Amino acid sequence: MTVSTATEATARPGRRLSDEAFITSLVAAVAVGLFIVASVAVPNFFQPLSMLNLITNNWAVISLGVGVSFLLVSGNFDLSVGGIVALSGVLAVWFAQAPDGANALSTGFGFPTWLAIVCAMAGALAVGGLNALFVVALRVPSIIVTLGAMMVARGIAQVITQGSQRNTNLPDDFGVLGNLTMFGTSVKLPVVLMIVLVLVAVFIEKKTVFGRLTYWIGANPVAARLSGINNALHLTRLYLFSAAIAGAVGILLASEFKSGFSNRGTLMEFDALVISLLGGIAITGGFGSVIGMVFGALILAVVTSAATGMVLSPDWQFILKAIAVFLAIVTQTWALARRNR
Amino acid sequence: MAVMTQTASPDPVQPASGGDRIARFFREYYIYFVLVAVVVLLSVANLDKFDLFERGNFLNQNNIINILRVSAPLLTLAGAFTLLMVSGYIDLSVGSAMSLSAVIYALLAINGVPFLPAFALTVVAGAGLGAINGFLVVRLRITPVIATLITLSLYKGLALLLVQDGVSAIKSGGGLKMPSWFNTYGRVGTFLELPAAFWVAVIVTVILIVAQNRTLLGKYAAATGGNPTAAKLSGINTGAIVFLLYVIVGMTAALAGIARSSFMSLGDPLSGDGMELTAILVVLLGGTAFSGGEGRVIKSFIGALIIMALTVGMLTLVPAYFQTLVLGAALLAAAASNHLVSRKESRS
Repeated sequence: MTVSTATEATARPGRRLSDEAFITSLVAAVAVGLFIVASVAVPNFFQPLSMLNLITNNWAVISLGVGVSFLLVSGNFDLSVGGIVALSGVLAVWFAQAPDGANALSTGFGFPTWLAIVCAMAGALAVGGLNALFVVALRVPSIIVTLGAMMVARGIAQVITQGSQRNTNLPDDFGVLGNLTMFGTSVKLPVVLMIVLVLVAVFIEKKTVFGRLTYWIGANPVAARLSGINNALHLTRLYLFSAAIAGAVGILLASEFKSGFSNRGTLMEFDALVISLLGGIAITGGFGSVIGMVFGALILAVVTSAATGMVLSPDWQFILKAIAVFLAIVTQTWALARRNR
Repeated sequence: MAVMTQTASPDPVQPASGGDRIARFFREYYIYFVLVAVVVLLSVANLDKFDLFERGNFLNQNNIINILRVSAPLLTLAGAFTLLMVSGYIDLSVGSAMSLSAVIYALLAINGVPFLPAFALTVVAGAGLGAINGFLVVRLRITPVIATLITLSLYKGLALLLVQDGVSAIKSGGGLKMPSWFNTYGRVGTFLELPAAFWVAVIVTVILIVAQNRTLLGKYAAATGGNPTAAKLSGINTGAIVFLLYVIVGMTAALAGIARSSFMSLGDPLSGDGMELTAILVVLLGGTAFSGGEGRVIKSFIGALIIMALTVGMLTLVPAYFQTLVLGAALLAAAASNHLVSRKESRS
């Protein structure tokens, strides 16, 4: 419908790069370019610690971006992830809290931590299943479904926490997972998990039938169905995959802060969508890559942290995000159109 | 987005059986039954504690007036949003546009601009915000969801920037004082004890109902949503229609912002947050197909009344933190039932 050139992503013979690789390199070049500009222009930007922070501060959104990217490639939205982050964190805390609290908000089920985590993951997967049910079986447009599911998930989290948070009466081992530092450095477990997740996702995307089917369905759902692909099953798996990632992120965040907060993850679904778009994933489906999404996240991180370094008020982040996405969409469309002329 | 839908018009050739006629009647008027059902349920829910019209019960006069007063922003928006969705497009930035308008209006007022110029300037600004959306969607051909997501972020950022650091909203203080007329528009009863903001919402809705039923705008919007290619081939300037609808939505978002800002007596840069979801919810509740082609302004108006009655009336029954869950469930239910109905119709 729009950005239509993006879907005609068939590499012509004799070309070294496919359109997809071309866009990914473009995004990577922009990320590196911005990084160099920021290093020169912004005082105190070029420091090992701040460079590390670009990645470590964004582990949650990048992880969510993996699930969201796969769904976007298949031609569907997932705007429910922010709500799932809140829900799974709140559930994990609720199940783990000792049953002898002084008031309702400090009283839970007293499950051992591992069982609380399993139950919280089940809650997250249930929301993923809800998404799949409405999108696949009832064929309701995914943007509406996942926005509704986001509200339902966050709504349940708010009911469980009575609109605020649960953070007392927790077993000591609940705070281990989110705060575990790795390899004797300050890098925490969630960051390592995010890197592993990205590597696995890239492998699935490029080297497995599952990954290629995702592109096929996104590029032309009707053709995919007519060639015997079970679209419904595939999309269901993708929604469960995305919900599982969001559930894990929510549990890790709850563990890191030792609290289940019903407003955690607010707007994370939009950030995950924004970095996917910055990374060159086409909203029409069938085009884009996880690597591009990671570079998209880097672009956003460089821009926002450079803005903070230049002592702009934090309110600027919304405007910067808007400008970045706008420029990304326009240049990507333009570059592809020029290339395939 | 709109390519796959068939316009679901009743087939004139097929003779309607009795069951069909009842089904069609119900489909046409269900929204009024839902409104009546919600009102009745909320009225009897507290009967054990209060009399029917006593203070504390839903049907109490002051309660009804209060609900209609706080409904003004949503009621203003619902009609224009319906027409936009009928034409197969969407505007996720209405909440941010509303916040930004509220801030602009409060800034003008606090700096000494009288009511009418401040009002007019804000509506013009709202039209400008809508025009930006229209430009991104129609001229630059960016997908509506993405284009309005960009402006959602942009308008929200602008609204936050217009409010000084360290202050949460535009309000009296720091040598500036909000004029005394500021909350008259959204709060003080004029006709039937309801404020001007509510009557403006009614007037806007009536104008849009007339526009939908009696002018080409309504027909062209439906044609654009039902089958964009056919609409274009039959000579309709679909781009101009869509652009105009975005401008109208922007203007109603500004009116909504003024109403909210006046009601709260401040220019809150977050006051419109989540309004886009509520707007989508009431429009879907009113039976508008998400993919475009059909939908009625009046039904969305009723849908907005239902949602406001529910959200306010619910507060006497359950704590406020149930609100998100109920609205989310309503959104899913409305979307699913709509979709099932229109699928059934297009199959038969």
